[in-house]
Amino acid sequence: MKFSVSKDKLLEGLSTVQNVVSTRTTLPILSNVLLQAVEGELRLTTTDLDVGVRGRVEAHVERTGATTLPARRLFSIVRELPAAEIYAEVDTKNLASIRSGSSYFKILGLPEEEFPPLARFENAKEFSIAQKDLKDALRKTSYAISTDETRYVLNGILFSFKENKLTAVATDGRRLALVDLELEFPRSQEIDVIVPTKAVLELQRLVKEEGDVKVSIGENQIAFELNDALLVSKLIEGNYPNYRQVIPAEAKERITLEREVFLNAVRRVSLLASEKSNSVKLIFSKGNMDIVAVTPDVGEGKESLPVMYKGKDFSIAFNPEFLMAPLRNLPNDEVFLDLIDEMSPGVIKIHGAFLYVLMPMRLS
Amino acid sequence: MNEEQPETTATILHADLDAFYASVEQLLDPSLRGKPIAVGGGVVLAASYEAKAFGVRGGMPGRRARELCPQLIFVSGHFKDYQRLGGAAIKVLNDFTPLVERISIDEAFADVAGCIHLFGSPAEIARAIRRRVRAEIGLPISIGVARTKHLAKIASQVAKPDGLVIVDPDTELDFLHNLPVELMWGVGPVTKARLAQIGVLTIGQLAKTPGWSLERLLGPAAGEKLTALAWNRDPREIKTQRRARSAGAQSALGRKPAEERIIRPTLRHLADRVATRLRAKSRAARTVTVRVRFADLHSITRSMTLDAPISSTAMLADIAEELVRAALAENPDEKVISLLAISVSHLEERPQLQLELPLGLEDEQRRPGSKKGMRRWLADRAVDLIRDRFGWQAVGYGSVMFGMSRSVPDEFRELAEKDL
Repeated sequence: MKFSVSKDKLLEGLSTVQNVVSTRTTLPILSNVLLQAVEGELRLTTTDLDVGVRGRVEAHVERTGATTLPARRLFSIVRELPAAEIYAEVDTKNLASIRSGSSYFKILGLPEEEFPPLARFENAKEFSIAQKDLKDALRKTSYAISTDETRYVLNGILFSFKENKLTAVATDGRRLALVDLELEFPRSQEIDVIVPTKAVLELQRLVKEEGDVKVSIGENQIAFELNDALLVSKLIEGNYPNYRQVIPAEAKERITLEREVFLNAVRRVSLLASEKSNSVKLIFSKGNMDIVAVTPDVGEGKESLPVMYKGKDFSIAFNPEFLMAPLRNLPNDEVFLDLIDEMSPGVIKIHGAFLYVLMPMRLS
Repeated sequence: MNEEQPETTATILHADLDAFYASVEQLLDPSLRGKPIAVGGGVVLAASYEAKAFGVRGGMPGRRARELCPQLIFVSGHFKDYQRLGGAAIKVLNDFTPLVERISIDEAFADVAGCIHLFGSPAEIARAIRRRVRAEIGLPISIGVARTKHLAKIASQVAKPDGLVIVDPDTELDFLHNLPVELMWGVGPVTKARLAQIGVLTIGQLAKTPGWSLERLLGPAAGEKLTALAWNRDPREIKTQRRARSAGAQSALGRKPAEERIIRPTLRHLADRVATRLRAKSRAARTVTVRVRFADLHSITRSMTLDAPISSTAMLADIAEELVRAALAENPDEKVISLLAISVSHLEERPQLQLELPLGLEDEQRRPGSKKGMRRWLADRAVDLIRDRFGWQAVGYGSVMFGMSRSVPDEFRELAEKDL
């Protein structure tokens, strides 16, 4: 195989796929990127057996062919190459010669046959979603994914395709973020799948503001096709918990807040929330909300915000990080905080199909 | 800055009450003074110096002790008095310096570097402490004075009974190197026997043993540590308000079948003791470790780190049981166990409870913020309150109360187990 390619394009292509490269050294082939030179383009593929990514870059291909090369090493070499154009040739023993300006590198690869193929999709359920909507949904939910590996069903985002809606849900058992997207599809297409964190992170790197993404769901696999890239991932097996039951039916109090003002106030106060007993207290009185953090032997921080509040005096404590996460990831100027009492979940809502349920911390 | 290097003078005291439990008994009952006595019954928990002269030792079966010393008098322990008098002795140290680190019921370190101008030389301070403890409390206390904690502790052992040893920094290695290795901190019977295999009997011999040889014998970490201590290299400072980083309890079982009917109540009992201590100090632990020792005395540990710190008895017991079951499943040939232990680490202070969404996941019962977790917490709190008023035996978990027979009273274990 023999091709030439622009350094910038190859670098972009490699950065698209190199995140997925496995760090497990038991299977050396997984540290490699599969390079396939076909008519007019170079295809780049990486996989860690759970997630696989394929990208393509425009290339001048003189001789078609395929090989695999160590992905991280190739990336660091290409990044340092001195000229704008790169010339590569790979012999039958998978020895790659790379020239660019004054540089000449030889890298030993592994045969393409050893590279595990990406999953194929037959009889898959297919959906088309605007990238902008998917990007928005991922941003509004992904921070709530659980990192607790013992709760593996929570180590991803639930994509629930039901009743002409895609509902994306993430929870770590303390807070839950949910986005609904209108989406038309026949009844027979309805399905619930859990997309693992790693695929979510990769997908977030790939989605752009324009265009659509084609989603294909097969047996325990999901694929996303977008912008010349393909992301394939295993699904998390198991049943996602019944998240509907934790969403409070109705609120007793609704407090309307300016998102940025609220976020900044919590952030400032949280400087005085001790690492261990991490909580800020929201104290409501008529027309006012105080946000307070106290660390014994250190000090306390307090912010007062005027709010429309007419109920009786009451306070509730939250983990400040859990309170700030959705505020950071929402674009809206205005948010609503719905509360019931100090032991019941609080809900953050916006004008739009989003909600965030957050369990309080018990005040001792 | 003071130009004088504090390490060049011997200002660290190690004060250790002599044959503490037995001495207290002799203090409380004058008729026992001068006689060989043992605290305990089935097992000797502590022996007076008079009994020790006959070869009676702590941990020895009562019957064996009687063989060695037919006139031995057995007394049951006065545990509350041990606490009270041990505390009073430490208070005397505190009258001289705030830099006091208590390491158990009957011993403590103190650094007197800062109070020499007030009370005189370390030797004078040590004499004053011994005098006061004898006069005000009525107990003999031995003190070692040295440049490091390790050497001070050794010196107090050498000083016993009822003595004072001051180690001059100029001649400290001469002093140290002539002593037997078992006086060193961290050299128990097993290490002592291993060292004896390569002919190392004194600390001096240990100091001159090549590092690789010790490493091969004892493992890299232990080898290096012992060499440093043998050369009196011990940078540890006095830690006041020592906050333990772990807590634990263990139960020696003799030889018992590795069966549920033994394991369950034992673990419940251990979990009860550990979790109660955690709650008493408003702490909770994120890591649970269990140790299972088999018939041949080799032991295995298993541990689990949790997402949220726990302090509930039932949760700790559940997790410990699960870990022990897993450990036993991995060692199907081991049918007999001789010890079970639970310890907790990654302790968090005054943890505030993050409540959990009722998602109905299987593991909710081991999450302190779940509904079930909250109920367990309330139950524990009720138990704690009742015990505070009416004593430990007043209330408890059924599986614990009726499933155990104990040769060693728990109050005694409590004294020996590290205070949080």
